Amino acid sequence: MKFLSKLSIRTLAVAGAVAALSHAPMRAQAEETYNLAMLSDFSGPYADIMPILAGGREAVVDWWNATRGKELGVVLNYKNFETRYDAAQVASLWPGIKSELNPIAVMGLGGPDVAALGERLPEDKIPMFMATAGYGFAWKEDSWIFNPRPTYSHESAGFLSHLRAKLGKDEPVKVVIMASEASPAYVDMAHGLEKYAKENPEMVEIVETIYTEVQPTDLTAQMRRVARAGADAVIIQTNTSIVVAVKRALQANGADIPIMMSSHNGLPASGKAAGGIAQLEGDYESYGMAIAVEGDTAPYGFYQMLASDYDLKAPWNVVTAMGMAQGSYVVTVIEHAIEANGAAGLTGEKVREALFLKPITTEETHGMLPTLQFTPEAPFPLEGLKVNVAQVVDGKIVIDATNVDAPVVNKW
Amino acid sequence: MDPSGVFSVSYRQDRKLVRTKWQVLFLLGFMALLYLLPYYASPRIVAIGNIMLISAIVAVGLQICTGYAGQINLGQAAFMGVGAYTAGLLASKYQMSFLLTIPLAGLSAAGFGFLFGLTAARIKGFYLALTTIAAQFIFHFAVLNLPSSWMGGSNGVTVPAATLFGLKISSTSGLFYLNLVFATIMIAGAFGIVRSRFGRAFVAVRDDDVAAGIMGINVARTKATAFLIGAFYAGVGGALWAYMIRFVGVDQFTLFNSIFFIAMIIVGGMGSITGALIGVFIIRMIQEVIATVGPNIAEAVPFLGGDIVFASMNMFLGGVIALFMILEPRGLMHRWNIIKSSYRIWPFPY
Repeated sequence: MKFLSKLSIRTLAVAGAVAALSHAPMRAQAEETYNLAMLSDFSGPYADIMPILAGGREAVVDWWNATRGKELGVVLNYKNFETRYDAAQVASLWPGIKSELNPIAVMGLGGPDVAALGERLPEDKIPMFMATAGYGFAWKEDSWIFNPRPTYSHESAGFLSHLRAKLGKDEPVKVVIMASEASPAYVDMAHGLEKYAKENPEMVEIVETIYTEVQPTDLTAQMRRVARAGADAVIIQTNTSIVVAVKRALQANGADIPIMMSSHNGLPASGKAAGGIAQLEGDYESYGMAIAVEGDTAPYGFYQMLASDYDLKAPWNVVTAMGMAQGSYVVTVIEHAIEANGAAGLTGEKVREALFLKPITTEETHGMLPTLQFTPEAPFPLEGLKVNVAQVVDGKIVIDATNVDAPVVNKW
Repeated sequence: MDPSGVFSVSYRQDRKLVRTKWQVLFLLGFMALLYLLPYYASPRIVAIGNIMLISAIVAVGLQICTGYAGQINLGQAAFMGVGAYTAGLLASKYQMSFLLTIPLAGLSAAGFGFLFGLTAARIKGFYLALTTIAAQFIFHFAVLNLPSSWMGGSNGVTVPAATLFGLKISSTSGLFYLNLVFATIMIAGAFGIVRSRFGRAFVAVRDDDVAAGIMGINVARTKATAFLIGAFYAGVGGALWAYMIRFVGVDQFTLFNSIFFIAMIIVGGMGSITGALIGVFIIRMIQEVIATVGPNIAEAVPFLGGDIVFASMNMFLGGVIALFMILEPRGLMHRWNIIKSSYRIWPFPY
């Protein structure tokens, strides 16, 4: 009996091995497998939103594997790597990622990824695709790091051109920029808009750029100045804490000046921090990707499909939308690379080349992003830039404008 | 305490750092393992090694300033940043070789550190700690507010790869050897410094600066020298960091980083070069474990939320430091010395 059981185990093991071996070549002929590295921050400053963002981008890759990938005979494997939003951690992880995964593309998260890999990726010939808007300091030719959205300054300039039209003003809109020297990225955002205002005095007048702490306690005195100057809007692309402090200060001064936020500190997050979305009545968020509101729209339909068929558990909000937008343009670029080169032998270099071959249409990204035409001149599209604007009306986030042309903002 | 039968018969022998043949063998074996690391370890481990070697240089500098000379220094990351910017700017604007930029980076950081060393001549303790925190902010605001053509401003500085005889040192292994060579030189130098008359003056000032002054030691100069040397080490570490990351930004050198360096020397043991190295290893390993375990915990216990896991992980690191302060304020090196002594005199209690 003992002998028989041993025999059966051995027989099963051999049969299993034979089956696996015989299946392996068939599988290899049927499909090509490539790897994607996803840089994540599950234990750093963005730990609270990371599972949502990761859920969005992973669901898109799962969807692509099951649909377009299946047709093309390509499977995209992905793996998350924890960076703690720290350049040192990214630098220590990267050699392992490269040797272990040999990825054809990297999905990045933020500034530390750019800082640590900006000079390495061109040598390793692996492109990195971000989810966020771009920065002036990363605006370089022949980049290997790409943003689906223009710079934060393009986005705020786009919003201001919309606001000027909405207010029916012939004179420039008066704007206050809230920034912080805690992060060079925040300074960069302010510098970009300042440059735009300087070159376009008929469009925008910067009343003041206010530098504050990242978690300010009281901005009442500063907002009194802002109210007296007759500002039309306050631009805050930094964080939710500054939004809350500005809102409280404006309320304390009895001033009704709208605030414009970005995606990472947008209406839902800032509303939550301020004690409810109703607190932000009349305020805006603006960025170059889909606004996460429910309705009969392509992005929401795509989200519903991912949630029902691909186990996307993240709620429909701006962070999920960022993840979905990132996933969408990455799989589309890879698809373009497969179309151009065939499914076999895809490399990071070929993926990057495919980025410049033809536009990534808004239909291909299910409306998550506008049509994007990348060129080697910049890490983000320089032409045809669009922004969307949402506003809080009657305590609800509604779309105020879509496909607003972002003006030309020269490099600063 | 030396093992039984090992004793010095000359001053030269008495000053030896490596005193027994086993110690020689162990050191040679350890160095061989280190120099061969890229051949047997995965690239990930080698990359961690790179971060550890750079941290080791900076932490050893802090050990000289704080552990030996007793001058509290919460600005070591800023000194490191000065070195990184100096090397980055010299390499990118003037195409200088790393053989020049790294020592110059050390010197510029030393100059910046010396300014704070001068303040140490007049103040100490809590006030000195506050002054060195000011170094962090002066560095940060200076970089961001000076004309961007000077130090890059918010754009940072892109650093070309180090090259030697036309060979580019940009691979993980290449950088490891670059870092290892400099770490070996700097650490060997540190052992020399702390056993020199400067080192003895540092210890005398740390233990009692009034008594040290009465003995004839120039206390003000000694304190300033401690800052100068500590900052020089930070500057060299910063330059190596610049060549490794190849992009220097002001947010890479924060007060948080300075606190990590303090944690390293506390955990390893104040007043010990080896202790600083052990501290670097322990803290960096904890950070690596946090990076590995944190996401898994967040995934396994989703109701906790990622932000709570992150906070817990930082609390864990803070807890480790607090635990050492309570249970073993003199660090792991002190515990190791007790164990070693007990082993050597065994079976006798003393």
